Amino acid sequence: MTPPVLRVRNVGWRVATVPVLEHVSFDVAPGEFVAVMGRNGAGKSTLLDIVAGLRAPTEGAVMLADRALDEMTSIERARTLAHLPQSLRADLSMRAEALVLMGRYAHADRWFESDEDRRIAEEAMQRCECLEFRRRILATLSGGERQRVFLAACLAQRAPVLLLDEPATFLDVDQQLQCFSVLRAEADRGTACVAVTHDVNLALTFCTRLIVMAERGVARDLPTETALDDPAWLRAFSGRLIVEHGDSRPRVRYQ
Amino acid sequence: MLMRRRPVVAWVGGSGLLFAAAALLLPFVGPSALDWARVWQRQEPDWSILTNLRLSRTLLGLFAGGALALAGSLFQSMLRDALATPYTLGVSTGASLGAVIAIAFDWHTVAGVVGIWAGALVGAGLILFVVMGAATRGGQLSSSSLLLAGIAINSVCAALILLVHGLTGMSQSFAISRWLIGGLDAIERSTLLVYMLVVIATGIIIIRQGRQWNLLAVGEAWAATRGAQVRRALFQGYVAGSILAATTVALTGPIGFVGLVVPHLLRGRLGGDDRMLMPCAFLLGGVLLASCDALGRVLLAPAEIPAGAITVCIGGPYLIWVIRRGGLR
Repeated sequence: MTPPVLRVRNVGWRVATVPVLEHVSFDVAPGEFVAVMGRNGAGKSTLLDIVAGLRAPTEGAVMLADRALDEMTSIERARTLAHLPQSLRADLSMRAEALVLMGRYAHADRWFESDEDRRIAEEAMQRCECLEFRRRILATLSGGERQRVFLAACLAQRAPVLLLDEPATFLDVDQQLQCFSVLRAEADRGTACVAVTHDVNLALTFCTRLIVMAERGVARDLPTETALDDPAWLRAFSGRLIVEHGDSRPRVRYQ
Repeated sequence: MLMRRRPVVAWVGGSGLLFAAAALLLPFVGPSALDWARVWQRQEPDWSILTNLRLSRTLLGLFAGGALALAGSLFQSMLRDALATPYTLGVSTGASLGAVIAIAFDWHTVAGVVGIWAGALVGAGLILFVVMGAATRGGQLSSSSLLLAGIAINSVCAALILLVHGLTGMSQSFAISRWLIGGLDAIERSTLLVYMLVVIATGIIIIRQGRQWNLLAVGEAWAATRGAQVRRALFQGYVAGSILAATTVALTGPIGFVGLVVPHLLRGRLGGDDRMLMPCAFLLGGVLLASCDALGRVLLAPAEIPAGAITVCIGGPYLIWVIRRGGLR
């Protein structure tokens, strides 16, 4: 197996003296698509922020491709890791293509992006099926269209690690499927993808691995294929989830 | 292929031509008509009216309007606040307070500098540190803490201006009211030169970082994970924008509206890419202020209407018209 590109080592985070995360450790290898799940307040977004370098952990360390995250410059970090924050401004007055080109910030040390940057951004927009709105102002796009543009900007960054904080939460069902298929395809190309999500079936369908957060840490860390063999972990979300074994893949349904 | 830089060249070039045309033509606008032939032969008084008075005043208008519009677009991007102006973060109100105190106490010169300018620059410098200190917590600086600290200290300075104003005698009180409207006057060539160099240098520093302001306009987490150094960028933008606002307020008084409206109108037309928006805002903001001042010179000649009053009288209705037409995004 390929060596992990992201290592989270014994990470802890506390607000004043109240611990939010304690002893969190896991590795992510290239090609994995990890769903980070758990109830509200379980520390999913905090963990993702720490991995993205937006907050410094109070204990432990994050290693990106064998380098400590806090020793990297912001440019080095952005070349290794792209992050899609949870909610972004809707009233942006710039064009979609300008936003996607922002993903090239860490690669282009010049006032305007090169033709190579443009080609990469265009290809990312094609993969996220948003090239048709490249000249549109972001504020005039629908929520789903805008999310595709933000996702394209993250792909254009061409980072080996991709972190997404609830990328599909505000999208309609079709857009959710589309978003997760794009991410799965990205993982299949060798990117390590880590997405926070609340949708169990979406995670079971597209992700390769589930990390369930509870009690300030990782409660379960299991591969998707065998996740439903022992569905006790579902109780971490709600007591009203039932596994349904149909003719194909098992599904989770609500009681 | 995604869009190349051609529209940038066209817009910035077109704005630059307008700027140059304003610098050449506006000095000829004024209550006393200038005779081309006499100017050509450098005959008095036409030659000195043109070079000493009108040209210096036009250049001051072009650079002051440019500085305000540039600082406005910078703060709007940096603070993600469509209503941000060069005066939002308190530094220019601090400059006004310093200037008003200098007028109230009749300080004509302080250490060889005109009292109003000295007062304004000292006031701005002090407020810069106060706001920065109030906004920084545990070494962290965010645009929301900067905005809150700026607005709070802005209100305090505005209240102190009213207080000083209320406690002064008649003649100072009139001078203070007149100064607070904001307007252009011919200033010494050396002062003008220093001011223009400061504006150009600060403007280049700001515009060179256009991609950084674009990133911050989306969000701080977004900017940080694209590779920008957010805290350094906020610090740099705050200081650079404050230098523009404070030096301008020192020379012209708090001229309203240019810093809010010019970036807004351009953003509706050009989109929000600061690499194109900022140079255009600078050039067209300058053209707007210098033209308003030229208008103020002739409208009620021989009386003069201060440029600050004209910008607001024209800018307000125009903005409402644009909003009603739906041209503002």
